[in-house]
Amino acid sequence: MLLTAVVFLPLLFSLIIGLWPTEKNLRPLALGLALIEFVVSLVILQRFDSATASLQMVEQYPWIERFGISYFFGVDGLSLWLVLLTTFLQPIVILGSWNSIQKSMKGFQVCMFVLQTAMLGTFLAMDAVFFYLFWELSLIPMYFLIGIWGGPRRIYATVKFFIFTMFGSVLMLVAIIYMMYLTQDAFGQMSASLLDFYKLDIPFVGGQFFSLQTLLFFAFALAFAIKVPVFPFHTWLPDAHVEAPTPGSVILAGVMLKMGTYGFMRWTIPMFPEAAQYWAWLFMMVGVIGIIYGAVVAMVQPDFKKLVAYSSVSHMGYILIGLFAFNEFGLGGGLYQMLNHGISTGALFLLIGMIYERTHSREISRYGGLAAVLPVFSICFFIITMSSIGVPLTNGFVGEFLVLLGTFKAEPVFAYVAVSGVVLGAVYMLWMFKRIFFGQPGELVKDTHHPLHDLSWREIAVMVPLIIMVFWMGVFPGTFLNYSRASIDHMVQTKGKYNLTIQTPANNPNSQVVIQANVGAH
Amino acid sequence: MNSEVALLDILKVSPMIVLFLVSLIPITVKVLRGNVEQAPMATLIQGLGGIIAAIVLMFFVHEVFMGLPAFSNALVFDGVTKWMGLIALFAAGGSLLLMYDNAATNGSQFSELMFLTLNCVVGMLILASAVDLLMVFIGLEIMSLSLYLMIGMSHEQKLSKEAAIKYFILGSFASAIFLYGVALLFGTVGSTYIPDVVAKTGDLIDTSRVFVFGISMVILGFCFKVSIVPFHMWTPDVYQGSPTPHTAFMATAVKAVSFAAFLRIMETKILIGSENLLDFLQWLAVITMIVGNVAAIMQNNFKRMLAYSSVAHSGYILVGVITTGVSDDVNFGAASVVFYLVAYALMTLGAFAVVALMERTEGTIVNIDDLAGYAKKRPGMALCLTMFMLSLAGIPPMVGFFGKFYIFTGAIGQGLIWLAVWGVLNSVISVYYYLRPIVVMYMKEGDPIEASTPMNATRVAIIVSAVMVVFLGLVSGPIFEIFEKAL
Repeated sequence: MLLTAVVFLPLLFSLIIGLWPTEKNLRPLALGLALIEFVVSLVILQRFDSATASLQMVEQYPWIERFGISYFFGVDGLSLWLVLLTTFLQPIVILGSWNSIQKSMKGFQVCMFVLQTAMLGTFLAMDAVFFYLFWELSLIPMYFLIGIWGGPRRIYATVKFFIFTMFGSVLMLVAIIYMMYLTQDAFGQMSASLLDFYKLDIPFVGGQFFSLQTLLFFAFALAFAIKVPVFPFHTWLPDAHVEAPTPGSVILAGVMLKMGTYGFMRWTIPMFPEAAQYWAWLFMMVGVIGIIYGAVVAMVQPDFKKLVAYSSVSHMGYILIGLFAFNEFGLGGGLYQMLNHGISTGALFLLIGMIYERTHSREISRYGGLAAVLPVFSICFFIITMSSIGVPLTNGFVGEFLVLLGTFKAEPVFAYVAVSGVVLGAVYMLWMFKRIFFGQPGELVKDTHHPLHDLSWREIAVMVPLIIMVFWMGVFPGTFLNYSRASIDHMVQTKGKYNLTIQTPANNPNSQVVIQANVGAH
Repeated sequence: MNSEVALLDILKVSPMIVLFLVSLIPITVKVLRGNVEQAPMATLIQGLGGIIAAIVLMFFVHEVFMGLPAFSNALVFDGVTKWMGLIALFAAGGSLLLMYDNAATNGSQFSELMFLTLNCVVGMLILASAVDLLMVFIGLEIMSLSLYLMIGMSHEQKLSKEAAIKYFILGSFASAIFLYGVALLFGTVGSTYIPDVVAKTGDLIDTSRVFVFGISMVILGFCFKVSIVPFHMWTPDVYQGSPTPHTAFMATAVKAVSFAAFLRIMETKILIGSENLLDFLQWLAVITMIVGNVAAIMQNNFKRMLAYSSVAHSGYILVGVITTGVSDDVNFGAASVVFYLVAYALMTLGAFAVVALMERTEGTIVNIDDLAGYAKKRPGMALCLTMFMLSLAGIPPMVGFFGKFYIFTGAIGQGLIWLAVWGVLNSVISVYYYLRPIVVMYMKEGDPIEASTPMNATRVAIIVSAVMVVFLGLVSGPIFEIFEKAL
């Protein structure tokens, strides 16, 4: 019941908020509900058994029996932290948007909670169709978040976002249906369970694009690549980020992009091991291109929100090459980098939102000398900048280091090039920092009619947990990596023949769910 | 053919008889009162009563006579009859609610309209249950003749008359082509009974060109009725010109029963015999999807957009029909078609009902831009329309997604992967225009026009459809299984 509760509580909360009679007290209510959700999700962490790689706290009930589609939730080391990241960011975002969202508050909070359900469902669903349901559902609230509360070009941005993402995912749907037929051929009964998909032995012909495994691989990979976004498909991201309201940007960068990389990790790579191996060079290449390209383009952006958006493209490139390095460093680093990016980019968007609320401008050239006026803000921004660059002792360092180590072990050439992204990252972030916070006071800073105020207690309260996480994850990465280690090791060891078992109640006293006999006895 | 009419036959067609008798009540009353209308509410209650009685009888008849023929094998009462008939009856019930409220239809001729509508439904039930090609033709004509009159009913709108004439002329052509096809089939097979045709198909398909011509023409007749490109030309004009409730009625009920008859023809396994015909139908499906979707993008008139979207949906359903035609497991394909039609009927009826809410007078033309600010003014209705649009676009967890899911699952199972790929890519195109009303409602400021009356009946239809769109999506599995077992 725990995972069901975690996934569907936000939906219940959205109903409560939707039916709440007044607009008054809506913000504290939403914050309280988001905190409840976070606490409930902590129970997963407490019950989680980090010694095993198998799927835990499983809940599986038949849903559409005719096609073997089930209501199937489960958590393991790959999804655990992403779930917690989602629930952790939600209250922060709600607190961060306390004053910035004025227009139809109620609708906004409803969208936020529905989105949370969709994202949690995506991370926890272990049935392909069930997963697809949440995957597509996540588009709707985000579409409204950008379209209603966004900037001037919001409609263009939101429709582009929707259609890009949908384009990728429909081909995945065809692939899912096809694989359901493959399970029917292999096991005699149709199943959409991911665990059965893992067991399939799909014929692979190297070098031939129009062979079964390659086509299925690319159908899935395209969906996730657009979501990540991988280099040639990234164009929706800057638009969506720039037009989205701050909370939308934070969730988009913090969690939604991870749905793509998580998809690679959970679905594409283990299901199609040969194709993933064979085409790894392609994904590493676009990953590296993304790193360099994102960094170079970020450097020249006059708008700091857009700069951070492009830096996301660059950071997601690291995650991608880490995943396709197929060793424990690469995969572990990729997973860690997902969390880092969620924390640090989320924090950056929040900080940008805070300054934007004060000045209503995002042009870097109009700022300057902000450090003297807003010391607390500057310190926060500096810490997050360091984290984003990946300075040692911050979380970014651990992730990037592991990814580069893994890549070096697997494909040194790509590592050489990717390393330059670290330097470029420092260049654009530090240069932006210099232009905004140092030097001559810019026109917005000098403006005596509208003196700038430093962070309020509420805003400090928003930043403190994020900054704590930056250092905690930077200094004690073991706290986090230990939970995922078993899963990552299992993934590396069973490379080429990945399988996942369900933890049975016998070896886990916490799980009360009766596990249904699964299809797939050979 | 020996023609004995037994009492049992009368019982089997009791839903049709009841509908016909009920349809006489309002006009009889009107005649007896010296050409004075009774209260529209009374007419509505009588009509709905008739439909509910027919629904109940439908369940009863199929409980007792499942799978049995009637009237010397002219009609059959099987799963297709039952479910397609029920779709038609429910859609008709919903449309009646809309007609009761709408400015174009509830004037001084509501009694006549009730007569026409209910008789149209009688034609539909005949069409859905016919297993003899001549009976199919009779059903088709009863349905169409009522429709021609209904389309032209609006007094104010010139477009309405134009639409009626257009539909009449093109519809007559299509009927003629259909009948010609039936004649050719009779010439080669020696019977118009569909199972006889099925039995001979294997022999004749390779040897007799005339037979192939005949069956192709029969298929083309249906392609016209369900607006498959390139026989769709009438659809946008007629959908736009007819009073909105009638459009809703045509888009849902007429389409459902036409596909029912189409399915029966497909069960002849003609597609397995003739590769060319299979290729041809596949291309029709492909063209229909793309033409419908691309043309819908260009539309500014809401009803016209929904008309093109209806063309596109015919393309998706045709994929299911083709699947039925080529697979050994007929039930699966047929069930996917039926499920899709249920889904399609719900969401389309709802969408047209929202359009009807905005029609202040008979002449009002609702453009998509007129929806600006609707979400602020009527949040509930805007939410319902959003659900219909997302469902039409095939976004889970709405029922429209599962409709597509089953259709494409069937197609992939039969190796028609390219049709499935084409179908899903088209649903991406369709997202663009289905999102437009939502964008305009929620993201633009404005003061939308609205009908002057509260239109409570229409609202009921909208809310019921919206609830069903979500609910049926979540329980789609068991429902699909019911269809599959029944067909």
